[in-house]
Amino acid sequence: MTALNELDTRTLVSGRPGPVAGRRKRRKRIAHTIVIVLLSAWSLFALAPIVWILMMSLKRPEDIVVYPPKFFFLPTIDNYITVLSGSEFMTPFVNSLIVTAGSLVLTLLIGLPAAYALARFQFKGRESIALGILSMRFAPELLIILPLYLLFQKTGLYDSYLGLILAYQLVTLPMLVWMLRSFIEDLPVELEEAVAVDGGNRWTAFRHVLFRLIAPGLGASLMLSFIWAWNSYTLPLVLAGKNTQVITTGIQQYISYQSIDWGPMAAATVVSIIPGILFAVFSLRWIVGGLTAGTVKG
Amino acid sequence: MKHKKRLPYLLALPALAVLVAILYPFLTGAWWSFTSYRLNRGAPEFNWGKNYLTLFATGEGLHALWITLFYAVVVVVIECVLGIGLAMLLNYGRYGSVFRLLIVLPLLLPPVIAALMWKVMLTENGVVNWLITALGGEKQLWLNGPDSALWSVILIDVWIFTPFVVLLAQAGLKSVPQELIEASAMDGAGPIRNFFSITLPMLTPVLVVIVAFRGIDSLKMFDIIYTTTKGGPVDATTNLHVLAYLDGIRNLNFGMAMAGLIVLWVLCNILANLLLKSRRKEATA
Repeated sequence: MTALNELDTRTLVSGRPGPVAGRRKRRKRIAHTIVIVLLSAWSLFALAPIVWILMMSLKRPEDIVVYPPKFFFLPTIDNYITVLSGSEFMTPFVNSLIVTAGSLVLTLLIGLPAAYALARFQFKGRESIALGILSMRFAPELLIILPLYLLFQKTGLYDSYLGLILAYQLVTLPMLVWMLRSFIEDLPVELEEAVAVDGGNRWTAFRHVLFRLIAPGLGASLMLSFIWAWNSYTLPLVLAGKNTQVITTGIQQYISYQSIDWGPMAAATVVSIIPGILFAVFSLRWIVGGLTAGTVKG
Repeated sequence: MKHKKRLPYLLALPALAVLVAILYPFLTGAWWSFTSYRLNRGAPEFNWGKNYLTLFATGEGLHALWITLFYAVVVVVIECVLGIGLAMLLNYGRYGSVFRLLIVLPLLLPPVIAALMWKVMLTENGVVNWLITALGGEKQLWLNGPDSALWSVILIDVWIFTPFVVLLAQAGLKSVPQELIEASAMDGAGPIRNFFSITLPMLTPVLVVIVAFRGIDSLKMFDIIYTTTKGGPVDATTNLHVLAYLDGIRNLNFGMAMAGLIVLWVLCNILANLLLKSRRKEATA
């Protein structure tokens, strides 16, 4: 520590870095350059496939199939027009919206009270219930879905929105309860007790105090659930039929035929990744906070 | 006083109902795993765990188990090394936020769609092969090669999920006191020594969360593998989850499918327990 201070004063007095500080500064600059180069390299790797699909979505059919691949071409929006005007893509897209929104609403109705109870009450079986809910997230999906498939066919829930919304709880509910519970636990109980002192009951305390404080956490949990539901593939692959096909299964149509419809497929891909990106860009910080809550402080 | 005791159960009731509802298909499935249940051949008949024996005696299941474990271990190790490395680079300078957004981007796409994007690029005359030949290399078979398919799928997984490790590791690195590292550097410790004796031990709690999450998700990986290779070529990328799908949906052999899934479920549970135990320890500490 003293060595550092000495160095600093010398630098201060002379107004220009001493020989040691100069070497250190140079070394620091080199380190910074290396860091930037490495980060840029990875960013390029992360970005390139997305840019490539974006380019592909703007190409004419004859520009897509050529080899060597074209990097410069006359862009066209034909693929987007095809995709957005036909039912082949729009039906799964709308289905995705319906199913995802529906399962979020249901998850919220089920998960919010449960998370509150798990965070604020001591009761018998509390941890078992919490673990039980969380373990839904950790089971291989097909273990539940295959039996569910037969059950749904018997009860008429197969290929219905309601069936999918119910099944999606498998994905959305555990994470919402888990994240929300830790958000609520992080808030001091005294806040609600203060309301009780002023004559309020639990409900008013929840509505006027707690609910407002957990709003950001709630938003983040919902967004994460949204992404998980939107991305879900195994569930709709087994439980959705022709009528309720969602985006992740629907997009396969473009390649499951003999010939691949490259252009529209690329355009459909671009359109279907937009919601996830929009949702997540705004909530990244909270999502990380929720996942690491309890493990990391500060 | 009495209603106060009932209130938490009342609040948790809908969630409990969901739990019970899920228990039904789960137990049904577990029961099927002990039966010779084929969808087209009538009612399930108990067969004393023959499915489990067949699964591991015929080699098919053993192979799938090997692919499952290999995939999970390789993916988790690569992603942890790269993810922690990138997180440290991001925390090094003040330009982190722009890079962070770029780096995180793949995580925001549906894995299925990200996998499809890669499939497009990895075809024989795709852009990746062009790039390799332009740099003087030879075209690769990627997803179509019996030896390269598994590594191609791993590449896609790494591309999508390394950001997940970056995000969590970055949060974890915040808890490492910078003064400690500086002080130890003053005492002559190099960056490597510092990493292994200070940073890594401090990161352990987050690392447990990362390994558990990524471990479970890659043990039961289905989306990427099924959309790119459908388990092929031959069975080069058939892990337990994909095998169960092929058994169940394609061959309608629900008994065999469930046996594979129960084995997979046990594997996932081992990792989940690791995660939960570490969290409980945190809670009581």
